[in-house]
Amino acid sequence: MRAAAADQVEPATNKYLIAVVAWAIPGAGHLLLRRPQKGLTFLVALTLMFATGLWLEGRIFPLGFDLSQPLVGLAAIADLGIGVPYFIAKFLGHGTGRVVAITYEYGNAFAIVAGLLNMLVVLDAWDIAEGRK
Amino acid sequence: MTTHLGLMALFSVFVSTVFASLMRDEPRDQLWFGLRLFAGFIGAGVAIGWLLYPLPL
Repeated sequence: MRAAAADQVEPATNKYLIAVVAWAIPGAGHLLLRRPQKGLTFLVALTLMFATGLWLEGRIFPLGFDLSQPLVGLAAIADLGIGVPYFIAKFLGHGTGRVVAITYEYGNAFAIVAGLLNMLVVLDAWDIAEGRK
Repeated sequence: MTTHLGLMALFSVFVSTVFASLMRDEPRDQLWFGLRLFAGFIGAGVAIGWLLYPLPL
């Protein structure tokens, strides 16, 4: 399996495109690399996880340069890891977060971890494109 | 569904699914690895919960 997969090395110019697509749409990088089972799993699991975070009234943290609140900046970077769903949620007015909701912190955890997991998925797609997996 | 245990289980399902897909290539291996991860998350959560139980808040 690994040897067969290593034969499917993408040309170097495509690696960056695959990384960008993999970030923008969870699982899309693996779909491009002809790993449909993994790609669809990531697409469904990560999108659902991010949506669950919003359903639980978590907050999508704003990306700013306020050095007095470094944890907010780090959470925003983690949220951004999910790619296009972040911007769709922002556009639709979701993710404002309701601090008094009992599920607020749970929602934050779901949204943040979904973004961080998608960053790992991007790295995995990069490794596949490099022929290392 | 929005109990602490329910949300922990849901969180574990998502994380186990993604890690199993990342770390294993064959669907059968993914299933077993994912189930072991899920059981580990739930088991560790319950065990740490009981360890913390006697501590005052």
